[in-house]
Amino acid sequence: MNRGLNRFAILVACATFFLIIAGALVTSHDAGLATSDWPLSNGQVFPKMVGNLFWEHGHRMVATTVGMLTIVLMIYILVKEKRSWVRKLGIFALLAVIAQGLLGGLTVKLMLPLWVSSAHATLAQLFFCTTVSLAIFTSRSWIEARPIEEEKEGPPLRYLCTAALVTIFLQLILGATLRHSATWDQKPPIELILAHIGGAFAVTLILGGTGLTVLRRHKGEKFLTRPAMIALSLLVVQLFLGVAAYMTRLASPKDPQPLNPMVGITVAHVACGALVFVSTIVLTLRTYRVLPATNEHSTWAARPQES
Amino acid sequence: MNKQTKVWLVLSIALSLLAVGSSCGGNKNENAGGNTNATAGAGPYSGPTGTISGVISFEGTPPAPKKIDTAADPVCGQKNPNLMTDDTVVKDGKLANVFVYVKEGTVDGGKKLADYSWEPPTTPLKLDQNGCHYVPHVMGVMVNQKIQITNSDATQHNIHWTPKNNPEWNQSQPNGAPPIEKTFGRAEVLVPVKCNQHPWMRSYIGVLKHPLFDVSKDTGAYEIKGVPPGKYTVVAWREGGVPEKTMEVTVTANGAAKADFSFGAATTSNAPSSLQMMPAIEFPMLGKH
Repeated sequence: MNRGLNRFAILVACATFFLIIAGALVTSHDAGLATSDWPLSNGQVFPKMVGNLFWEHGHRMVATTVGMLTIVLMIYILVKEKRSWVRKLGIFALLAVIAQGLLGGLTVKLMLPLWVSSAHATLAQLFFCTTVSLAIFTSRSWIEARPIEEEKEGPPLRYLCTAALVTIFLQLILGATLRHSATWDQKPPIELILAHIGGAFAVTLILGGTGLTVLRRHKGEKFLTRPAMIALSLLVVQLFLGVAAYMTRLASPKDPQPLNPMVGITVAHVACGALVFVSTIVLTLRTYRVLPATNEHSTWAARPQES
Repeated sequence: MNKQTKVWLVLSIALSLLAVGSSCGGNKNENAGGNTNATAGAGPYSGPTGTISGVISFEGTPPAPKKIDTAADPVCGQKNPNLMTDDTVVKDGKLANVFVYVKEGTVDGGKKLADYSWEPPTTPLKLDQNGCHYVPHVMGVMVNQKIQITNSDATQHNIHWTPKNNPEWNQSQPNGAPPIEKTFGRAEVLVPVKCNQHPWMRSYIGVLKHPLFDVSKDTGAYEIKGVPPGKYTVVAWREGGVPEKTMEVTVTANGAAKADFSFGAATTSNAPSSLQMMPAIEFPMLGKH
């Protein structure tokens, strides 16, 4: 285990979270096309950051920083990390951030077609998932984890967590599509709103059930209960933020411009959604690490790993 | 994987797919009027013409203009310190910025208006960005008539129009940049124009194949000249998703037909949002209803 590598992976994950917030600010301000060119802004590397160009070019600057950090992280992993699958994940992270940058360019060049914008927002979450995973895999708690016995009643937690993760990811895609289907001064399509609300019910049901199951079965095992508690807490916050975002977004078409309450709450909703996703990723990965694959003891779960 | 696990997985995936699938229903964007994509057959109209004129009134109390916060770009605040919304400009009960046009009709003699063709004027119409505000706010042009876009501000703008029948277009125009000339190739009522740098900036351009249109002035008055004698449907359009008003008008040779329109406070705000039905759906989740 290399403590420096783990700290750097955490830094990249935090920077990625900041990048997601910066991207959400662009969408909420309708700043994505504040300049018609890419990768330069108005033909300049450092344009005058006024109006909505502050958000759009600021997003590009943060993205460039994250891209560079990811390059360094990949090199760091290739030099220090012995596990081949972690090395591959480091390379994947770099490929993902490059693809994300190109998608960002396409959003400008193609003038924000819904599928490109939604793909850009979705890949952002996947990239965040990747950097968080790298931070987890290089951590001491992951490497030194020991198997935990699971109750033989009910379905294995790892599958419950996977189901929750898939549901959250689909909900994130729906949310991204909803956000990019209409600007602040337009009515969002009601079909997407209903779908997103349906998704919220599904996530609440499945993640709620999974989290409570973790707390019930593994009381005292902080390795599992901590991410479960965080995921459940964030889920509650996210539901309230969702309602608040809906209320402010309902009023925004009558506003003269995107106002701070709408911007702040919708961005918080995006950010909290990302946190719900990664906290569930942490929980899921940890269940795979320490719990058996089925109610029968698995032979491969939680084998000590070489660092 | 045991049976319970499979049930959980199938349940979650089915719920999610259901949610995704329900979003795939068509979201039809209707074109906002402007049935002017007609085929030319009779060539240019030559003969006596009349006029259609009128006044656009506003009934009720108009909404107060809203102050625009220009703090994001100090240049806007310096040049235009009291920038207000101009979606409803009412003076003495008369409404400005209403686009009035002849939608369709039959010219005396039996031919349809759409059978005739008009050449677009060679003089470009100007759309200026002045004080972080589009001037004019609403304008009409003919298909293939040049629009000259200028930036009179000491800051950068981008012009982004979002038509449905014409290609979308977005271009940055820094301060000091030369004018940009653009045309629309197809008729469309009306094309929204916005600046993504300054999101309060809005303008609307009506694009028609004929010159039979006008925009109401501050007095609410408009006048459409050069109308061939005949029977027409005249439409008054105003922004904000307000339903357009129509009127049947008969124009005689060298005559002056009147067509007054009235919009009310009830239709001033944005059209009823599809979201407005949502509280009844969403609130039960919170147990409020």
